[in-house]
Amino acid sequence: MKLITHNMLTSKCLKGVVTGYPLAINATDVKISEVDFNPEFISRIIPKLDWEVLWKAAESIGHSEGLPQTIDPKFEDNEEFLRKAHKVLLEVEVEEGYLTCPESGRQFPISKGIPNMLLTEAEVQ
Amino acid sequence: MTEDKKVDRKCKRFAARLKSKGISCSNMPGPNLVLCNVGQATGLVKDDILNLCNYLPAIKLRKFIAEKGESYSFLVFDTKESASVFFNEYNGKNCFNNGTFLYMCYVDSVPDTEVLCPYSNPEGLLLVEDFINIDEEKAFVDLFNFKETNSSLKNRQVKHFGYEFRYGSNDVDLNSPLPDKIPKECDILWTRLKSYGIDLDPPDQLTVNKYMPGQGIPSHVDKHSPFGPTILSLSLGSSVVMDWKHHSGKSLPIIIPARSMLVMQGEARYDWQHGIQPRTWDPIIEYTLQGNQRVKVITSDTTNRQTRISLTFRWTRSGKCDCPYKTLCDASNSTEELDDAVASNLEELHVHQVYERIAEHFSSTRHSTWPRVLQFLRQVPSGAVLLDLGAGNGKNLLHRTDILQIAGERSSGLLNECKSYVGEVGTVDCVRLDLLQAGLKDSCADFIICIAVIHHFSTQSRRVQAVATIARLLRPGGRALITVWAKDQTRSNYLCREKDKEVQSNSTVEVAGLTLPVHENRTQFQHKDLLVPWKLRGMKENKLADKPECTLLRYYHVFEEGELDELCELSSLLVESSFYEEGNWCVVCKKI
Repeated sequence: MKLITHNMLTSKCLKGVVTGYPLAINATDVKISEVDFNPEFISRIIPKLDWEVLWKAAESIGHSEGLPQTIDPKFEDNEEFLRKAHKVLLEVEVEEGYLTCPESGRQFPISKGIPNMLLTEAEVQ
Repeated sequence: MTEDKKVDRKCKRFAARLKSKGISCSNMPGPNLVLCNVGQATGLVKDDILNLCNYLPAIKLRKFIAEKGESYSFLVFDTKESASVFFNEYNGKNCFNNGTFLYMCYVDSVPDTEVLCPYSNPEGLLLVEDFINIDEEKAFVDLFNFKETNSSLKNRQVKHFGYEFRYGSNDVDLNSPLPDKIPKECDILWTRLKSYGIDLDPPDQLTVNKYMPGQGIPSHVDKHSPFGPTILSLSLGSSVVMDWKHHSGKSLPIIIPARSMLVMQGEARYDWQHGIQPRTWDPIIEYTLQGNQRVKVITSDTTNRQTRISLTFRWTRSGKCDCPYKTLCDASNSTEELDDAVASNLEELHVHQVYERIAEHFSSTRHSTWPRVLQFLRQVPSGAVLLDLGAGNGKNLLHRTDILQIAGERSSGLLNECKSYVGEVGTVDCVRLDLLQAGLKDSCADFIICIAVIHHFSTQSRRVQAVATIARLLRPGGRALITVWAKDQTRSNYLCREKDKEVQSNSTVEVAGLTLPVHENRTQFQHKDLLVPWKLRGMKENKLADKPECTLLRYYHVFEEGELDELCELSSLLVESSFYEEGNWCVVCKKI
């Protein structure tokens, strides 16, 4: 699971949960895989993300170093920043661990890099 | 050069050309002639040829064969003497007073393209020809002819009275009657039907269909539960050939002339499917005697269709159908009324578990992206977020690094295949999720594709919920491409020609307390809710085993035309285009 994906995951489908966002990350295995840097893509995707959630997620697994907590208005022109964002968004991957719903505490396992968001019939709204 | 020699030479040239089409001309007189330069493609009228024969009273023409699109035709005479009388009289002559010289040769054999139809009309079918006269027809056409329509049906124009016919569910909403009732001008019809022994109260629902030449209607049975035991169809404007099919394998074409009334009751109403092929012409159907029986002959000759308006009258009813014909009855094998927990269990057993088991084999058979999917994906602009919901092995994901693609899939087996397939693309990620409770944020996607997924949900409410998820995940202005398997497979490569003629299997399986039909692969669908066999073959060293290990059954709800569009509209998705591709109904829709 990449952190860009984590930015979109929610547990709001659980019965009794209102927002279910963001999910807390517990990682037992994090890997870094190299991905080609595409500054244009990173610039365009950043406005679609919740940056605060991304920063906290990166910090929680120990990969926030050098990443600003807030975005500079002219971030598109800052290649150093874009490279850092690129790394955190696409290269850092949680291989094993679990996600936790902030409201109910329900855990979603991450195995072989894939978060399992399935719910049982009884858990659904 | 004499005139005879010129004609002779011309005929030889024609003969050489015909040879390339597999027609071998002969110098030896026999009973068969080929007319080298007149055929359907040249605007030939059969009556012109018959007239030529009538001038020569001594000869007898047995058969006239004109194949569609060909510029030649064949004559079969009773004897070679008759043929040679015709030959000597007309070969090389200006026969039609239009400057066309007729050239002909003897041939050994003529194509046998006629199809004998041994079946008699369905029980319960009454076709009253000339039910109304020409003046009455004109009055009805004036009353019902409409120029514009708000209908979204691609293939024809429709208008409803009494109750609106809902194409997604093929029923009516009894709680919302239309302000327009069936016009009183129709009342003469019920009165007149009494003289044919059909005594009925007036119907309360009318659907008017306007078919331009080239338009048709897929084979269907009028859904049992919403409508009563009689369906009437009055035809105006053009005759048409309606194809009737029974699940026992019987099929037959019936000419429905203009001004005729078709009364469907009993087997014809409940146990047969009927449809009209989308084409601009119909075959000419004649009769021949076989023993004492009059048998239909579908000739290779054709006639052009005109604009046809049909008035379908139905009687609405409520509750489950209680007819004795179970095969096509929605009350006996529909999953529509299922409790959600039962539906979910059915999908667990016959969708999710099956995909887990067949993941590897299934994935090995799925490589190429359908052209329209590719077209949709290619126009996704750089920097966009794309969700592929029900991504399977990820075959539809593009190797594009300028968009974020998230593959959502329920089967872990398929998702593992997907992960390894897209592994090297840095902007793809995989999430295991269920479309009904997808753990993704609202409005997170610019684009969504959902390919061949929604047909696995077994009730209307679950299918509505699945499309509602797509609507929830799209940002306003975002677009989705959704495809589902179509019930009508006649326009795809799915059907196997030989198999279609075989008698359909009628096997069924008990699942979750209901009986579901098991589909015979590569044949037209007989039902809307059914089980499709998957012959599972094992994989060894990336190769498929020769023999199947076992057969697993996947549940499908196959879609009627317009059904998917209606699901989108229920979720307030604006359908931008709706089309049929290779056996699938597809829509591109936009979140407003």
